[in-house]
Amino acid sequence: MNLERVAFGFFIILTLSLNYAFVAGGLETPAHHNVWILTLTIIVNLVAIGLKLGDRSQTGALLLASGLVAGLLLITARVVWIVVESGGGGGPEPGEMADIVSIATGALVANIVATVILVGDTLLSRR
Amino acid sequence: MTQTSDLDRVAMIILRYMRRPLFALLFVYSVGIMGMALMPGQVVDGETTYMNLFHAFYFFTYTATTTGFGELPNGFSDEQRLWTIFCLYTGAIAWFYAIGSLIRLFQNPHFIQAMDGFRFARKVERNVEPFVILCGFGDTGSLLARGLSDHRMRAVILDSDPERIKALVVRDYTVAMPGLCADASVPKHLLAAGVEHSACRALLALTNDDDVNLKIAVMARHLNPRLGVICRSTSARHEANLRALDNVMVVDPFEIFAQLVYWAIARPELHNLNAWFVGAHGVKLGAPVQVPRGSWVLCGYGRMGRWIHRYLQAHGVGVRIIDPEVDAKGAEEGLVIVQAHADHTALVTAGIDDAAGVVAATNRDSDNLSTLLAVTELNPDAFRIVRQNNHENQVAFDAARADLVLQHSLTTARRILKLLISPLVQELIDWLAEREPAQTEELVARLQASVGAEPPHLWSVRLVPGEAPAVIEYLDAGGAVTLNALCRDARSFPEELPCEALAVRRAGQSIMLPDKDFPIGVGDEVLFCSVHWAELLLQATLHNPYTLRYVVTGVDESRGYVFAWLEDGLRRRRSDHKPNRRRARP
Repeated sequence: MNLERVAFGFFIILTLSLNYAFVAGGLETPAHHNVWILTLTIIVNLVAIGLKLGDRSQTGALLLASGLVAGLLLITARVVWIVVESGGGGGPEPGEMADIVSIATGALVANIVATVILVGDTLLSRR
Repeated sequence: MTQTSDLDRVAMIILRYMRRPLFALLFVYSVGIMGMALMPGQVVDGETTYMNLFHAFYFFTYTATTTGFGELPNGFSDEQRLWTIFCLYTGAIAWFYAIGSLIRLFQNPHFIQAMDGFRFARKVERNVEPFVILCGFGDTGSLLARGLSDHRMRAVILDSDPERIKALVVRDYTVAMPGLCADASVPKHLLAAGVEHSACRALLALTNDDDVNLKIAVMARHLNPRLGVICRSTSARHEANLRALDNVMVVDPFEIFAQLVYWAIARPELHNLNAWFVGAHGVKLGAPVQVPRGSWVLCGYGRMGRWIHRYLQAHGVGVRIIDPEVDAKGAEEGLVIVQAHADHTALVTAGIDDAAGVVAATNRDSDNLSTLLAVTELNPDAFRIVRQNNHENQVAFDAARADLVLQHSLTTARRILKLLISPLVQELIDWLAEREPAQTEELVARLQASVGAEPPHLWSVRLVPGEAPAVIEYLDAGGAVTLNALCRDARSFPEELPCEALAVRRAGQSIMLPDKDFPIGVGDEVLFCSVHWAELLLQATLHNPYTLRYVVTGVDESRGYVFAWLEDGLRRRRSDHKPNRRRARP
């Protein structure tokens, strides 16, 4: 067992789980989506990216790329949230909420890709 | 005189053919359009209207091509209708004439030939994959093309027989193999086939005519001195000429055949290994043919018979010869020669009863097959080696159940394929042939243990940044990698993959059967023999720095900066602690 693999696997799968937890629920219902979960997802994702820095293998490069995509989309979703919150009082409107959740769903796809690569690589190396 | 390319020729032929029809169309169109514009139309408000030139052209266009939209833009007067009739007939006839000329042009043999040449040259020029030029698409050529296709290697084919090039189209090769029906000894065609192309790897002159082969080799030599040429030659005179040229390799199908016969008779273990390497059908490694000892009867003493005789005699195998045209007087002392066709009586005279075996090596398949029948009757225990000349007689030879069927086009094709795909394999076989049989047996035992009885997968890798980046990086950092370590299985360290390194080529020198702890260096070419899936894993080791480090050291190192830094800190702290502890103990 390799401690680095455990740590990286933990953060990658945690990102995926948190990301799903955020997007689950009605697309336009602000009550179903928690801004804290979104923020936590971004932090965990950034840690996963940090762990992949310096890996020179092909799968490492692909994992880093998918992590960057997910990070970009999640941060975009968070920025949109900040912008719509400052505009009027209270949380985002249903239309704006739909924008945020659909961007976060895009990040979910990138996270799924990263997890599939991680699991596939581990299964192929079989050790 | 200026040089003309195929494109110029195509353009010239089209212009020459289409000049008249185009003029005819032009004439009919001008007359029709002008006439239509001049014809008085309907009278509107007391004034005669005329069709303007654009409308006349529009009208003529749809009339001449027999489309017929009707009377546009306004209804016609009777004068205009009269002219319309004229326009319709002349226009339609002019078009038929033009189209007929075009069809005739497409059927013109010169045009087809020029078009083929142009398309072929363009296809070759645009190709970026490495390829070889194959001159002569006979038995050997087509077998070789099949073998190249199996190895995903492209070939450009030239043959002067149009039927063979036509047959090329219906073959299911895995890669594109453009062919042109042309005389390969003409430099223009060699240039079209890509002699000077940067992706051209070799030129193979395999026509049945030694003169043509020599010519092709000489032309290629002049056009591109750096290009390697493999040339088929069966006569000593041509061979001497060819050997004088550098970068030219001479392949004599008869000599290759004779060598194989000799190996089968005197070095069965080597014959077995060679057949296993080339992937001959039904060959099992470590199960060589059981050939009896004794003297042999050789039927046929032509060019091939002489080679076989020379090989067998040089290695102390007694030979008795049967041939109708051999001159018994010129032969040396003690050589039994029967001057007859290899029939019943001739075989008895040659002493088939106590012979170890027979080699039926005439250039006629029917003679060889009938000799086989006679031998089976006279001495069923005799080992029967037979030469198959024609690929189409395969079924008859299969039915004859000879102990060994050798087809010289196939053996030649296999030899050339080996030279092209992995020259180290041939070097290894030649190296083993010069040494004791025990060495071959040792190698066979090693291969049996690691690779097994499956058909082998031979492949070589050059340790250069493009092909083995991880190894280069590791060696540059001061590490040492042995062949043994490279072949370890990263999935179950420290077990080894079913893979054996057979040879290493370093700086022009070949090291055959290197030791397990042989340290590899940058720029080496290593020849591996493995099962198919082992190549994928070994390629992964060659490309992934972490996997390579793992198989060499057995330690799975951290990949990211964070963990590398953590591990570094941990190691440093440990080394700081150790001296303290030591001091405290005593």
